[in-house]
Amino acid sequence: MTGRLLRSRGARKFRRNRLAMAALGVILLYFATAVFLFFGGVSMEATKERVAPKHTPGFFQTPDLDQRLAFAMHFISEVDSATRLASRRDQHPHDILVEKALAERRPARLEPQRYDELLDEAFGILEEELDLVDNIADHPELEPRVERVEEIAAAFFPMPTGWEGRAYWSRTFLGSDAAGQSISIRAIYSIKVAFQIGLITSVISVLFGSLLGAAAAFFGGWVDHAITWVFSTLSSIPYLVLLSVLIVVFFGTIFDDPERPFLSLVPIYVAFCSTFWIGPCRVIRGETMKIKELEYVQAATAIGFGRVYILLKHVIPNTAHLMFINFSLLFIGAIKSEVILSFLGLGVKGQASWGIMIRDAKDEVASYFFWQIGAATFLMFVLVLAFNIFTDALQDAFDPRHVD
Amino acid sequence: MWSFILRRLLYNVPVYLGILLLVMGLLRVRNPVYAYLGKNADEKQIAQLEESFGLNDPFIVQYGRFLWKGLRLDFGESWKYQGTTVREKLLASIPPSMSITVPALILTSVISITVGLMSSFYRGRWIDRLLVIAAVLGMSISFLVYIIFGQFFGAFLPKQMGLEWWPLEIGGSFDLWFSMSSFSVFGLRVPYPDINAMTWVKFCLLPVLISVIVSMGYDTRFYRAVMVEECNRDYIITARAKGATKRKIMFVHMLKNAMIPIITRIMTTLPFLITGSILLEMYFNIPGMGRTLITAITDMDYPMIQGFTAVIALLYILSIILTDVLYALVDPRVRLS
Repeated sequence: MTGRLLRSRGARKFRRNRLAMAALGVILLYFATAVFLFFGGVSMEATKERVAPKHTPGFFQTPDLDQRLAFAMHFISEVDSATRLASRRDQHPHDILVEKALAERRPARLEPQRYDELLDEAFGILEEELDLVDNIADHPELEPRVERVEEIAAAFFPMPTGWEGRAYWSRTFLGSDAAGQSISIRAIYSIKVAFQIGLITSVISVLFGSLLGAAAAFFGGWVDHAITWVFSTLSSIPYLVLLSVLIVVFFGTIFDDPERPFLSLVPIYVAFCSTFWIGPCRVIRGETMKIKELEYVQAATAIGFGRVYILLKHVIPNTAHLMFINFSLLFIGAIKSEVILSFLGLGVKGQASWGIMIRDAKDEVASYFFWQIGAATFLMFVLVLAFNIFTDALQDAFDPRHVD
Repeated sequence: MWSFILRRLLYNVPVYLGILLLVMGLLRVRNPVYAYLGKNADEKQIAQLEESFGLNDPFIVQYGRFLWKGLRLDFGESWKYQGTTVREKLLASIPPSMSITVPALILTSVISITVGLMSSFYRGRWIDRLLVIAAVLGMSISFLVYIIFGQFFGAFLPKQMGLEWWPLEIGGSFDLWFSMSSFSVFGLRVPYPDINAMTWVKFCLLPVLISVIVSMGYDTRFYRAVMVEECNRDYIITARAKGATKRKIMFVHMLKNAMIPIITRIMTTLPFLITGSILLEMYFNIPGMGRTLITAITDMDYPMIQGFTAVIALLYILSIILTDVLYALVDPRVRLS
């Protein structure tokens, strides 16, 4: 079925379309990433690990003085509380600080009295100079003092170097969200979630829908009436409402547990599959209506093939191009709907996804922090755009009625 | 014609009954009362709610009663908002939704039909390419992102920059300005909003604009495809051959013949005029139908969910029938099939 499709004239037309081939390349790149992630490329724990102080901006931007000071003070106050605890427990501060490490940024082991010296200096600068002004961002002349505080923070928590440094950079180059989690890791991990939802739901819906659609048109009679009734019923309920009601059915079951992120995707699969099959079913039904009047079907009947055999062997393979087009349309739909459901709190639970990221970023935008929404939107935009171009090219190449 | 309308109506009755069956069935997969009250409810409360919701009766009795009461729009009392009936909630939430969706639909249709017409008129030229590319790019961005950045650039940033006169608001105090008056018809209280232009601009213009921009991508592409298809028809060539001006061909010949798909497209969006855009209502805190329904779903307020879905689905089906009828009026061939 696919072999014939790949050798067809439409396929040649598709291959000549350079933009479409580029889009296909982008999709394959995403797919490869998703496969890599699926086999443990990035663990789920990595998406939840704290890697930097909260709302750290990404790499194009030097933060304001007050933000720089806040980041440095994050480390210094950790050290401060750790030294106090250590003196009470008669321990080395390093032993307590180890737990405060942010990914590769681990605490250095200094002489115990060196901690107090550095802390005194940092708080001295803070109290005598920096705290005296209302808004540090308006006082660029204080920059050297802030730099000194940053140096002290770096003495406690040195920047990792070498391979570790690169690993740390890859986690922080897009900044961190409100919980200090890495935006880059979360955005890339979301590719896996998007492909999981997109592939599973669109493959099942297309296969199921086309089979039903072809059967409805080919057999006619009560089969047709029943199937038409089912899909007109389902499509008469607004889409988001039906999705939400279907997902609510799973509330309070084991499929509604953030601790089990893989199971918690099941409601999404069920809801999407039970709404998505309608599109391909309609299209394939219409196409089969036309095909069943064609001469080769009559010829097959005349030879004496059974009806089910003709349906599976002669009719459905000739609707393969429509199945591909619908598959790619549904994939886009799945990715977009996931984002919307996650925003409404009905979607992905317990792991990162573009929808979760955009939802979390909603309030950050008011404080001019665009890294999270930017990263999620960009990755999603490129994928959806590639799929849009790909779908257009498919329709162009295979659907004679499609208007360019 | 009348027999056609009657046929369409009769055909849709089983579909509607099916919808109600599906929704009621889905809502009863888990005991609604337990879902609403949570784990720590006491026996008396549970028994009381079950009794009032009629859950002790067999499903078919519940279904019949729902249908019978539904004829008078009586869907019982909301669980969450004690003392308010579902019907009151329903009637109160329609005007806020419509104050956004009606202007949005009109603006979107006018703009995207014009743009589609222009695009097909200059087919293959740079302006057409630009529009097509813009439409594809626009379609690839999530609705949520449009809303977030729309709020940011449309209302938040100008306020931050100290533009006192900037009228647009992020929403939030919708209830304050949306005072309701009401009149009664056959004992049914029908509320209508006291809207004046300034408050409309303040709270509704921004969601309307966002909704227009979002749907532009899809609609423009659709209308362009329709027009391009019409362009290749014989009657256009005839018109051109007899020397009609390009403008006349475009606006008189083409637009008239493209009317069927345009009507269908607009008609299919009619139910959304009432349901409203769930996402816009959530973000702009508009107490419309979509928002009320989604909050009812997350609150597990079963009478509300049932009543709202029943009404929304009914409106949806009615608009489908209306589309078919209009279709048959415009194109007599449809009546026969």
